[in-house]
Amino acid sequence: MDEHKVRLEISELSKSYETKEGRFQAVEKIDLKVYDNEFLVLLGPGNCGKTVLLNMIAGLEQPTSGEIRLDGSVIQGSDRRIGMVFQKLALMPWKTVMQNTEIGPKFRGVKKEERRKKAQSYIDLVGLNGFEKAYPAQLSGGMKQRVGIARAYTNDPEILLMDEPFGALDAQTRFVMEQEVQRIWEQEKRTIIFVTNNIEEACFLGDRIVLFSECPARMKEIYVNDLKRPRDVISQEFLKLRAMISDNTDLAL
Amino acid sequence: MGGTNKSTVEERKKTAWADWGYRLLPVLSILLLILSWHLASSNSPDSFPTIQATWERFLLLWEKPIMRVSYPGHILASLKRVCIALFFSWLIGISFGIIIGWNRKMDAFFGTIFAFIRPIPPIAWIPLITIWFGIDEFPKILIVFIGAVMPVVINTHAGLSSVEQLYLNVGTAFNANRFQMLFEVAIPSALPSIFAGIRTSTSTAWMVVLAAEMLGAKSGVGFLVVRGMDGLDMPLVLVAMITIGVIGALLAAVTNFMERRLCPWMSIR
Repeated sequence: MDEHKVRLEISELSKSYETKEGRFQAVEKIDLKVYDNEFLVLLGPGNCGKTVLLNMIAGLEQPTSGEIRLDGSVIQGSDRRIGMVFQKLALMPWKTVMQNTEIGPKFRGVKKEERRKKAQSYIDLVGLNGFEKAYPAQLSGGMKQRVGIARAYTNDPEILLMDEPFGALDAQTRFVMEQEVQRIWEQEKRTIIFVTNNIEEACFLGDRIVLFSECPARMKEIYVNDLKRPRDVISQEFLKLRAMISDNTDLAL
Repeated sequence: MGGTNKSTVEERKKTAWADWGYRLLPVLSILLLILSWHLASSNSPDSFPTIQATWERFLLLWEKPIMRVSYPGHILASLKRVCIALFFSWLIGISFGIIIGWNRKMDAFFGTIFAFIRPIPPIAWIPLITIWFGIDEFPKILIVFIGAVMPVVINTHAGLSSVEQLYLNVGTAFNANRFQMLFEVAIPSALPSIFAGIRTSTSTAWMVVLAAEMLGAKSGVGFLVVRGMDGLDMPLVLVAMITIGVIGALLAAVTNFMERRLCPWMSIR
């Protein structure tokens, strides 16, 4: 871990909504630096505004105050260098696996042949070779999320946001997908910001784990996790880290 | 293992029976309809023609044209009006629905007028349109168009104005421009409801053309109904009614087929 170059810098970032009952604070004064090629996990209970934070980085929502800098300059709206893997069902049902995957370069006007080649290489990487012409409705939950990952990678983002990508999967598939994400990340190094509410998932994947409080989302603690990959989820060190984070987590009921 | 095999065989037998059942039930219902027709008409053959009389009238219609137009000629005359009207109602209705469904200003501007014109049944336009355009082909097509364009506009508008935010977010995250957002995200996601509009417009058009023909025409299936009524030729009325039913069902089948060809993902469940 010598590459401590800061890629993304979030300062004083807040988001609140006006509702009928008054002001609702979703995210409060987040200060966070994201390093180059790190696997950063945002961990927190229930609906504590982690998704809102991620949406602001992706440019899907406007912050109420504060700013986000990428490589030193402030970003506004959705930036091409930032990609996103959405929660379940963000595939377009009218597009095949291939058409879903190539969407990024297609929107940029990349020639069909070129973008198809690129999409194909990521379809192969996520293990969906042979399913290019299938529609999302024909795929299992795990396969759909693989398409989501291939789609994000095909757009060549420098920073990849993942919003509870495996929340809807069963435990078995979830663990397989966690290993897959780790394998792909090691093969194609990117900066990843991964949101989850699962402590084990956070400990298994993250270089650093940012623990958030219950609503509004405030940063509680950052854990550096330098256990050797792939991590043994029943080793002493792993369980110790897990217990430490777990004791510090607010319960969401 | 033996137990499981046995049960799967039994299950397969069960589904085979069920398959047969589902194929037989429609046949059964038609047979019952014909039977009740027979029972009802045999008591009062004057006001309710028998199956026999209707069949004979049907055969006679093939030999003897009415108003110098043959039986298939009458069907084609109605179909031609419907097809021309449907073509323009889909073209204009979908375009207009997209505009008011996608652009809120346009919706605010046209929405009110549309809400006011919409409940007027197409038949109510007949007097005005007859005065303006006479009783030629064009006014009939125009009336059918008015009837058919409404469901297309309503459904296209509904589909475009309720595109799931998630899909729009995906578009934004992958930097779609406005054009791509509309044509690659919004319109495809609205296709199921656009097709619902197309299906409704087809059946509406078929109903309206018959009504328009009943009020003044020299050809068409609706004209056959009126002709039967005027001449107290009830078997002819029944032949025309059955023709209307059959052609209507065929038109519905054609739109279903089109939908399955154009939106293959919709039939995967």
